[in-house]
Amino acid sequence: MNEEVKKGCTELVEKSKAVVREAFEKFKSSEMAVTWTGGKDSTTNLWIVRQVCLEDNIDLPQVITIDEGDAFTEITDFLIRISKKWNIDLEWLCNFDVLRCCQSHLGNTVKVKDLNERNQAELKRIGFEEDSFTFEAESYAGNHLMKTVVLNQFIQENNIKALSMALRRDEQAARKHDEYFTKKEGGHLMPEHTRISPILHFSERDIWNNIRLHNIPYCSLYEIGYRSLGARATSNPMAVGVPAWEQDLEHTPERAGRRQDKEKTMDRLRKLGYM
Amino acid sequence: MKNVILLTLDTLRKDILGCYGDENGLTPFFDSLEDKCIRFTRAQSVGPYTQASFPGILTSSYYLEYGKEKKLSPKRTLISEVLQKAGIMTAGFHSNPYLSDYFGWNRGWDVFYDSMDEDVSPEVPYLKGNEINSKVGEWLSSHTRGREYRPFFLWLHYMDVHEPYIPERKYIDMVDPSINLTRNEMFNLFKNVVLKRDMPDEKTLKLLKKLYHAHVREIDGYTKDFFDLLGELNLLRDSVVVITSDHGDEFGEHGGLSHDGKMYSELIDVPLLVYDYDRARGEVHNALLSTVDIPPTIIHLFGLEPVRDFEGRSLLPPGDYAEKGCFGEAIGKIGHKEKDTDKPVYFYRVNDLKTIYRESGNIWEMYNLKEDPKEVKNIIDTSSEARHMKEKLRSRAERRARE
Repeated sequence: MNEEVKKGCTELVEKSKAVVREAFEKFKSSEMAVTWTGGKDSTTNLWIVRQVCLEDNIDLPQVITIDEGDAFTEITDFLIRISKKWNIDLEWLCNFDVLRCCQSHLGNTVKVKDLNERNQAELKRIGFEEDSFTFEAESYAGNHLMKTVVLNQFIQENNIKALSMALRRDEQAARKHDEYFTKKEGGHLMPEHTRISPILHFSERDIWNNIRLHNIPYCSLYEIGYRSLGARATSNPMAVGVPAWEQDLEHTPERAGRRQDKEKTMDRLRKLGYM
Repeated sequence: MKNVILLTLDTLRKDILGCYGDENGLTPFFDSLEDKCIRFTRAQSVGPYTQASFPGILTSSYYLEYGKEKKLSPKRTLISEVLQKAGIMTAGFHSNPYLSDYFGWNRGWDVFYDSMDEDVSPEVPYLKGNEINSKVGEWLSSHTRGREYRPFFLWLHYMDVHEPYIPERKYIDMVDPSINLTRNEMFNLFKNVVLKRDMPDEKTLKLLKKLYHAHVREIDGYTKDFFDLLGELNLLRDSVVVITSDHGDEFGEHGGLSHDGKMYSELIDVPLLVYDYDRARGEVHNALLSTVDIPPTIIHLFGLEPVRDFEGRSLLPPGDYAEKGCFGEAIGKIGHKEKDTDKPVYFYRVNDLKTIYRESGNIWEMYNLKEDPKEVKNIIDTSSEARHMKEKLRSRAERRARE
């Protein structure tokens, strides 16, 4: 790796560390949590937070991962392996109530009336009026319950005031003006908290350069062509057999192998009468 | 080598175009293209709704071939992928969520705009033709002005004829100025009648048709604007424009509305025009063909080797096209929401005989389209061709069940 790229990476990392340090000035470790999907961005984010904690002798905040019910086994294995390696007590979150109602089987129908009170209330809150939905990776209702609700519940039950997430500005046009610190207003069932995004300024190429420079671990799926990893049913390799970092990152869309903007798409389908 | 442009129009019935016989005068611009087009009169879609139809139009394959996946199977080959590999610039502009990046259609495109990041209103839940034209225009201008000019394949798709049927006043006035509904009233009509598939009374049905007609006038205008744009950029003589729709729309012909898992002509018959400024002379071709033939036709226009994965054949030159039977397949849902229990529906057409098989209920239908174009007289029990046609569909259905 040439010196210029190395220098660039170091600067990006220093900038991220500064954001994390600012977070530790505002919040106690016990009030923070770091989300970790096992993907390249959230692993990078976690690595940076961990570096700061090691350097400044701060307790690592709680690290959480959300099981949405359709994970790649490679990702699950990666999470287990690296949490052991980095000595992290990883907390696995899952909306077990939903899984119970569909026997954990993708494609099964979940009847709203079988769900617990909180889940039912959550569906009402997002305007979901039907009395059942299919449990599948990217369904509007399912995703809300498996991801959003479970996260909100965790935040509430553990008095979390700040959440560190792995968003990058270059992922979507809509993220262009995102800030490092975003306050999420509280509401019914939605606890108020601050979202911290330390790696906003990293591009996809920067992430891979940095991973190489510091030997940060990554999931094997990236080696066989996946650029972006989500649910198994909705992630596809972009160029089969070509490692992610060897693909044309600058000219091909990263999330073309995944849902680009799931909620917007679902909303369009609803408006066109399709759901 | 000419550029190739594919203009697809969502939900546009073949029989609404003047050049296909409609007498309401809704498509003056389309009709004006006739002498510079080859017009195909018996083009069949491979499916009655967007998800089932576009695998034919852009991948020359059939909807249920790779299981009932909602996303585009990576095993399919998109026309954009083939052309991009051959060094042709590929660009797609549309606003149909089923054809978005999310559903896996963003492969092989140098430029792909699916508008999913834009906010849309419930009354107009898509980008209008003029907005698509604007995005296309920006790209075309910069591409043709750039130093690195390469031949291009451009795909653009207009949604304006698709429900919720809430046309602007000026288009309603072109159809029936006496219609006096507010936008809210039209939206309620969509919610209470079209969405629920409730067959309305004669008066309401006529009204819905008129609203549809108003949108057809609208889309005719956007098409004219697009061709004007091509003219301004001096691209008319250098581009072949293939114009078609993905499916039609039902207005009570078989007891329903909108477009669902049914295989009747109001949904399956599509217009197909190939505009070629100096080579086309208004020829009309009546060969029975399928939209699965569109990708091979584009390959032929770019002078490339035939693609093994493409199941159709080139329509050009028309004299060389050998007619075969046409197939179509879809999930036999009635009402937009696909349920896991929905089973497939298939059709097979050869000449003027069409057979339809609906797995749910094991229902067989057969129609002689020449004598019975409205498909009301089911001759499955009396036709001498029934056995042969049933065999064709049965073996196909069995193959799909195994996949």
